[in-house]
Amino acid sequence: MRRQRRGLKLLALILGLTLVAAACGGDDDDSAANEPSDEEVPEGGNLVIGAEQEPECMDWMGSCGGSSWGFWMAGVNTMPTSFEIVADGDSWTYEASNLLAGEPELETDPQQVVTYTIADDAVWSDGEPISCADYVYTWDQVANGTDIYDTTGFRDIDTVECPDGDDGKTVVVTFAQSYAGWKSIFGGQFGIFPAHILEGQDRNAAMLDGYDWSGGPWIIDHWTRGEEIQLIPNENYWGEAPHLDSVTFRIMADTQAEFEAYNGGEVLSIFPQPQNDVVEQVEQGFEGATVDVQANSPNIEALWINNAVFPFDSQAVRQAFAYSLDRDAIVERLFGGLGVNEAVNSFNAPVLGDFGNPDAFADYTLDLDQVDQLMTGDGWEKGSDGIWAKGGQRATIVFKTTAGNARRETTQDIVQQQAADAGFEVTFDNQEAGDLFGTQLPAGDYQMALYAQVLTSLEPSLSSLFVSTNIPGPENDNSGQNWTRTNIPEADEPLLETDSNPDQEERSAAAAEADDLLAESATSIPLDPLPNIAIWNDLIVGPKVNNPIWGPYANMEEWGLAS
Amino acid sequence: MSTLLFRRLLYSIPVLLIASFLLFWMVRTTYDPTARLAQVRDPATRQHEIERLGLDEPVITQYRIWLGDFLRGDWGESVASRQPVSELIPKALWNTVQLIFWGILVAAIIAITIGVYSAVKQYSTGDYAFTALTYIGISMPPFWFGLIAIHFLAVGPKEWFNLDQVPLNYVGLHSVGESGFNWDYVTHLVLPVMTLSIQIIASWTRFQRAATLDVLGSDYIRTARAKGVPRRRVIIRHALRNALIPLVTVMAVDIGLLFGGLIITETIFSIPGMGRLFITSLVGSDVAVIEAWMLVVALFILAFNLVADALYGFLDPRIRVQ
Repeated sequence: MRRQRRGLKLLALILGLTLVAAACGGDDDDSAANEPSDEEVPEGGNLVIGAEQEPECMDWMGSCGGSSWGFWMAGVNTMPTSFEIVADGDSWTYEASNLLAGEPELETDPQQVVTYTIADDAVWSDGEPISCADYVYTWDQVANGTDIYDTTGFRDIDTVECPDGDDGKTVVVTFAQSYAGWKSIFGGQFGIFPAHILEGQDRNAAMLDGYDWSGGPWIIDHWTRGEEIQLIPNENYWGEAPHLDSVTFRIMADTQAEFEAYNGGEVLSIFPQPQNDVVEQVEQGFEGATVDVQANSPNIEALWINNAVFPFDSQAVRQAFAYSLDRDAIVERLFGGLGVNEAVNSFNAPVLGDFGNPDAFADYTLDLDQVDQLMTGDGWEKGSDGIWAKGGQRATIVFKTTAGNARRETTQDIVQQQAADAGFEVTFDNQEAGDLFGTQLPAGDYQMALYAQVLTSLEPSLSSLFVSTNIPGPENDNSGQNWTRTNIPEADEPLLETDSNPDQEERSAAAAEADDLLAESATSIPLDPLPNIAIWNDLIVGPKVNNPIWGPYANMEEWGLAS
Repeated sequence: MSTLLFRRLLYSIPVLLIASFLLFWMVRTTYDPTARLAQVRDPATRQHEIERLGLDEPVITQYRIWLGDFLRGDWGESVASRQPVSELIPKALWNTVQLIFWGILVAAIIAITIGVYSAVKQYSTGDYAFTALTYIGISMPPFWFGLIAIHFLAVGPKEWFNLDQVPLNYVGLHSVGESGFNWDYVTHLVLPVMTLSIQIIASWTRFQRAATLDVLGSDYIRTARAKGVPRRRVIIRHALRNALIPLVTVMAVDIGLLFGGLIITETIFSIPGMGRLFITSLVGSDVAVIEAWMLVVALFILAFNLVADALYGFLDPRIRVQ
């Protein structure tokens, strides 16, 4: 019996050590991402990548096509764009792509005119040259089509003309009003669509389940819904030909299973959402992998406050609430394991770098004295339970976010605790995403909500969120995006200027002015950058680029597979 | 017997109608299939969609239209992907059917074998051991078991023994580029089938053990033994057949429930079956898919309940006579 017990103890110890060894990670190489690679790239091989989501459809300009994952997998690899998004030091910038013969010409006086010259060798996968007609078709579809996901910028275009004919390589785009983000048009989320294939057809129906043409280095071989999307090289691509024989994205909805698939070699790259368990996994490290944690992401997660409802209809209360939070501590708790531990201090996404005033909200640190001063100055008194009250009403805040998101629930817990210390009572009422974004936020049926704004281009787009005329109402058929009901008339002009002024420095100065006004009003509270995490197995040879807008799979034509 | 079945079938129709209406009403009052269009910049789009889907009609009218369309084979369109639901569900169903088939086959063989053994060797060391295992199996959450199985039977062996690839696959039902019934398919089936069947094996084993014990205590078994019939023959030819009757009916009911119940297994192993389809549709407020899915699953549950009744009558002549 004693021998059996000893044997059992030894077995338990071995099992425990095995588990610990399995849990401990090895080295990972954080520095090799986003840098050129000198490795010789082998030819051939089939790369398998794990994807957390699949698109609802592949009509990238339709409302069903607004899927980041869809674009990261298939859109960016098959749709030609006028500009690429490339690293520029610590930030990112637009650079004319190989679709163009050179940098487009920009005229601003008397009106904004952009002239594109398409590269002579730019062709579609069927050999048909990419021409001015394709630009015209794309513009017409976005500007005049129904059920378009995002028409931003396209409706500011007056005409798209082909001085050398529809088949010509020169495109002249004249704007009815200045649009500063012109580089994101005919680029970004949509790309350019082939007129010779889609003209006269129902574009949405033709692209719904994928399409068998391409203007990029890859072409869609098949899309088996719920299972995989496979790309193969576009043999008529005029740029760098892919080295791989194919790339397959396998759809995996469960994050833990995704990591197991990576650990077992079933997939060689993953791009997981920064949930709590993901942060823990990344902290442990990955042997033989390149891991890139991108804090300068295109994402802003914030506490979005309804400025039109009690108690946040008072600027003093909004400011006091901002002073009640230790935002750095929240970010440290969420992402400290990834080395991300500072809150964002502007509504401009970190990927925009120094655009505007990135420190606009920096003064809002935990300061309970300021809370007391602001609240008492606004006529509030603390009750016996320590909660502020005014006119018989308590400072009670219903805090909403998307249901079932563990990281956001953690954020809620921390905010509730910090707010309670400052005299605010916070309760939770989490909702399904469809209800929250589809009904409650647009209708103003909330006091405070936690969610992220994600840039799909390098344009700030804050005007849609904060200009007073965008408050949902009869004037805009309740379609305005200013869900926080921010109403700062003096901020409207600088916000609109960031959209219209093509001069980058003047735009940034206007954005800074708007940032300061938004911060002074504490219209909402920016919180964390929601970092992008990309993991590539070192069997993938070639430069790994964690493109903040286009994702980590935008340069797969440069990759090969080590044996 | 046929009269009994016909009567049961007739009773099922109002049950199905009431259930389908309640499900339809709950879904329509909970989800707004046009919610996603609130973010589309063209405000007319949402109104157009409301009119197209008939959402401005009273619920009873919407139900009548929906049921009529469903019976005619028009199950609506996924608002997310614009795919006909009548194409989405069969594709998902085929994947789930594969899992159910292999899972039930494995579970039945193991549960019957262990159940009979435990009954015949009641109170033996083996019986106690299997009893303990079945209780562990019953209490094992499938989600946890699935991930543990992946780690210790696939990822772990690859690392420990320095293998080129995992010995068992766990993403989908085939590797990239593979299809059909082959070794690749088998290696993909092992872990999901284990996961879905662990609790089923445990509960069926207990059931089979109890049913076998009940039969082994019968007078006719005692008579057969007294007449000198070999023990093995008594068990297999006389006892087992009668002990299987209750289990077969339980199996039929459980199979019906599995058609909508493999959400966890399909999510962990990335198998695009009915469970994953349901979750995706639920999260995306894809009303047409949710409604059709619920009715299809309800139909399967009812159908297999009828099968259970039929089997019970077929296997037990006493029921037929009654």
